[in-house]
Amino acid sequence: MRALCWNGVNDLRVERVPDPRILGPRDAIIKVNLSSVCGSDLHLIDGYVPTMKPGDIIGHEFMGEVVEKGPEVLRLNRGDRVITVSIIGCGKCWHCEHEEYSLCDNSNPQPAYEEAAYGHCTAGIFGYSHAFGGYAGSHAEYIRVPFADTNCFRVPDGVRDEQAVFVSDAVPTGYMAADMAGIKPGDVVAVWGCGGVGQMAMRSALLMGAEKVIGIDRYPDRLKAAQMKAGAEPLDYTRVDVYDALLAMTGGRGPDVCIDAVGMEADGFDTGVEYWYDRTKQALGLENDRSGVLRQMIQCCRKGGTLSIVGVYGGFIDKFPMGAAMNKGLTFRMGQQHGQRYVKRLFEHIEKGELDPSYLLTHKWSLDDGPRGYRMFKEKNDDCMRVVFAP
Amino acid sequence: MALDTLTDGPEAGTTERWVAIMGGTALGLAGLRRGSWALAALGGGLFLAGAAGVPLAEPVARRVREGGLPAMRRMDVAGLLPTMDRDPTTTQANVTIATEPEKLFRFWRNFGNLTKLFPHLDAVEVQSDTESCWKAHGPGGMRVVWHSRLDKVRENELITWHTLVDAELPHRGSVMFHPAPGGRGTEVRLTLVYRPPGGQGGRVVSRLFGSAPEQQAREALRRLKRIMEAGELPTIDGQPRGRRGMREIVE
Repeated sequence: MRALCWNGVNDLRVERVPDPRILGPRDAIIKVNLSSVCGSDLHLIDGYVPTMKPGDIIGHEFMGEVVEKGPEVLRLNRGDRVITVSIIGCGKCWHCEHEEYSLCDNSNPQPAYEEAAYGHCTAGIFGYSHAFGGYAGSHAEYIRVPFADTNCFRVPDGVRDEQAVFVSDAVPTGYMAADMAGIKPGDVVAVWGCGGVGQMAMRSALLMGAEKVIGIDRYPDRLKAAQMKAGAEPLDYTRVDVYDALLAMTGGRGPDVCIDAVGMEADGFDTGVEYWYDRTKQALGLENDRSGVLRQMIQCCRKGGTLSIVGVYGGFIDKFPMGAAMNKGLTFRMGQQHGQRYVKRLFEHIEKGELDPSYLLTHKWSLDDGPRGYRMFKEKNDDCMRVVFAP
Repeated sequence: MALDTLTDGPEAGTTERWVAIMGGTALGLAGLRRGSWALAALGGGLFLAGAAGVPLAEPVARRVREGGLPAMRRMDVAGLLPTMDRDPTTTQANVTIATEPEKLFRFWRNFGNLTKLFPHLDAVEVQSDTESCWKAHGPGGMRVVWHSRLDKVRENELITWHTLVDAELPHRGSVMFHPAPGGRGTEVRLTLVYRPPGGQGGRVVSRLFGSAPEQQAREALRRLKRIMEAGELPTIDGQPRGRRGMREIVE
């Protein structure tokens, strides 16, 4: 089959590789219909996430059809149209039983990396470096899914492929960001980053009863989508001072909830000096993650408010304003998505027309255009929100 | 136990501590930069050792003096760092498994199952109520055989054993099962105490247990957990990779 392989920093190639096969009794093989790029892939491609190996197949947000299953897969059948949550749960450990699938004890076959770096290992993720298990990713014609009964979900007839594919990752990640924040009626929610996850976080916050949602970015097309599709008030951080604007929009209180949908490669959210301080340290290898968004959220958030972090971080951050966070009594919630917890609810929202993630798909290309697709996604040309590959 | 190590031994000198802290920081950052988690972890370890005042130079120097570093073919980091500096050596691993103690006890009590937990173990033959014969292999197919005797067996709680005199790898072991609080299942504690003899025997120990016996104990409990909970050991062996990755595997 054809697959998009990582061969080094900024070196992606479409290659012929062997077809995947069933390796465990609870595995299934999915024929991929659609597989989306994701902002977090850029961290791998740019070389900010260690433990990538040449030949690794990337991609983790996908939907398709069950073509083969292991003897212990009971709930799925050949021919089922399914989405697969990008983070793998075993379905049986304490965390999975408590719907904390991304904290699964068992799904990461290479736990040593994370145990050394983080103290404990978390769940395996498709196409997301060997620290997260080294599972082959979804930018391919076929993919093997472990613990398929736990991680695959049949797509209802009323939901199209172009909507379903994002229920693999972007939708549950955004939804969880809003859910973790414990939004109450009357809350004002500010979302940093108007990419796929940010868009879904904004829409979800409104579904959960937020009074007002503010989307912060610098790309006009994304700000427009935040306004027209997600129902947010757009805020261009290159034109206004974010702190001044947010306080003006909230009667001086600051947003009750601040959501980080950007992560470790934050661009220019800081004042110039701090950004270049982070950027330089990152380039020299003295700091992994730029943290401009986090600093700004802590500064802007109302006293006693909540920060909800779903943008991905990998290592260390620097100049963390702990004094402000502590004295303002802020609550921090964060984590990789527990998509399996939300899929049913999300399909219901989509079927009722309350949520339509299909507008995230701005470019549907062949897998052969993989390297070009990522280049465009990274440079955000042509109003690109998400490139989705149809192998 | 980790605390014992930090407090029992002599403290490292100030210079040594700062060298460890600075070197650890540099190595750690270099590791993160180059994408080497092993290097990053080593850097982190050095940093912590420096910060806690764990002596590094003297134990390494002593090992080199005493010729205790025979199998250093690769740059083997774990062999250089001081392990718990006591004789005999004790290693321990702990894990919580989401099942009841009875199931885990029954699994362990059937010694044949232990080959699923220790990859170097080929077979365990039960010879009487208390005695059993263990057959293992080291790298290059080197065969190791020893006999073990059960000491204590408390139903659903505890199993302890020790090797008989002929063992090339004399050790004592115990596994304890204790209900975890809050319905979290069972806390399992595996303790292995062994006395690495000099010469040939010492090499057997290092080959069987590798340079990090704690790692072996921890991996064994991880396998137990995954078998009991997930019903399988998750793997990526045999999945497709791009050409450069496949070439690496062939090499």
